[in-house]
Amino acid sequence: MNVTLCNDDGLYRAGGELSAKWRISRVPLDEVQGVEVSVLWHTEGKGDEDLHVHHFQRLAEHQLRRAGLADEQVLHCVLPATPLSYHGRLISLQWCVRLRLFLADGREIVAEQPFHLVSEEMARPHSASADRVPVALPKSGGAARGKVLEHAPAS
Amino acid sequence: MPRFPKPWSKKRGKRILGHALAGEAGELTFYAGLFLIGVFGFSLVLINEVAPESVSQVPTDALSTGLGTWVFGILSLASMLTGGVTLLYRLARIGASSERRSAIAKMAGSIDMIGPTIDDAQALPSVPKGSAITESPGERLTYRLAAEKSKSGIAGPATLALLWSSAWLVLLAVVVSGFWNGQPRWYLAILLLPFAMISVWSFRFFLNQFRQFAGIGPTIVEISSHPLVPGGQCDLFISQSGRLNLKRLTVLLTCEEETFYRQGTDVRVDRHEAIRQVICKERNVAVDPQGPWEQQLQIDLPDNVMHSFVGTHNAIRWKVVVSGESQPWPSFCRSFPVVVHPPDLSLKRSPR
Repeated sequence: MNVTLCNDDGLYRAGGELSAKWRISRVPLDEVQGVEVSVLWHTEGKGDEDLHVHHFQRLAEHQLRRAGLADEQVLHCVLPATPLSYHGRLISLQWCVRLRLFLADGREIVAEQPFHLVSEEMARPHSASADRVPVALPKSGGAARGKVLEHAPAS
Repeated sequence: MPRFPKPWSKKRGKRILGHALAGEAGELTFYAGLFLIGVFGFSLVLINEVAPESVSQVPTDALSTGLGTWVFGILSLASMLTGGVTLLYRLARIGASSERRSAIAKMAGSIDMIGPTIDDAQALPSVPKGSAITESPGERLTYRLAAEKSKSGIAGPATLALLWSSAWLVLLAVVVSGFWNGQPRWYLAILLLPFAMISVWSFRFFLNQFRQFAGIGPTIVEISSHPLVPGGQCDLFISQSGRLNLKRLTVLLTCEEETFYRQGTDVRVDRHEAIRQVICKERNVAVDPQGPWEQQLQIDLPDNVMHSFVGTHNAIRWKVVVSGESQPWPSFCRSFPVVVHPPDLSLKRSPR
């Protein structure tokens, strides 16, 4: 499973547009029950996780058959104004494009491509104030393959 | 040796002890059991009311009086409702991904009758609106900020001291009457000593709270503009009244990370001060009822700081904190929440 963002640096302006391409390869269509594509933010850190989906799309088996599983699919959405990405001591707020594949045997495979939602000032290239950001933004490659996690079947 | 599966799971940080499915199954079994017990109890009550002769074999201790029947019936109904509703809710959560559940919740929230209007909710999602902050106009500056509710009130310590002292006096009366009638109760008499110590401690705690409540006058904080914006400036007016000689008085602007997490069956809160900006620090401040301490200050919010954020388990809160160290009164610390919006996106608001 591969998710590619349109911005190489992974920085997106709040209220701006996000485009991403995703593709599922080397999985036979008969083994796939459905795919969920979501643009979401979630928290990491000491506290329990908060998760909020901004954009959600579910493709059932027949829709995947029509769209073609091996073909590259495109995702467009307008990002919200907040919450901006944040990396603190107790809380990290991370945006990502998440692809969840449901297999016929009950397994789920998840791929994630994180990105950063930042204010307009920070999104500007060569922004002078970017050096003074109290939050350290880890690098995220726009064309990198997402983190893939595999879940065991629920039953 | 094979282990018997535990019907619960525990979250420790990012790890989950036990199988998540076992935890869900345990919960489902518990709520199903609660529902079934409720159904059984309620059926007994109904049978007892409608056809009492058919339950002649059932022990009638609980059902013999009218009041007992009603109490039993209400408890059964509560158990049935709690078990049934929670069971349905848990069942609905099984088999859906966390993203799908969030998307369904978002869709439900966008319905006017259930949640806020789309304009309100989507203007700055997850940023507190702070409308309560701008509700009361100030006398010197535009808005008067409301203080965060104090965690330690006076009603709790007063009730504790009163009830414990009353209980101790009743026990004392019992002991004295025992001695008077020539039947001394020695165990009770010995217990009176530790009980008296708890009574003294609760009374001193109440006095301490009362001194803090009565001696330290109100703190007034007013602000010229709200919400705040990174890189922006605004005026701040502080007034502290009462009858105090403060060793130190400090006014701060803080940004606090706040997280809630479950540890076993407890819900714990952890806080970390991410940003602490000293706006004013004064030593040896004298405050009397005729002359409250008043200062007009300025807040310079740094660039590129995180805006206010509120999630279900995590929050980033900005506040103005006024704290004082004094003698003989106890020290005090009062917080006044403010909202910080992200830069370039602040809503244009009318000041009044």
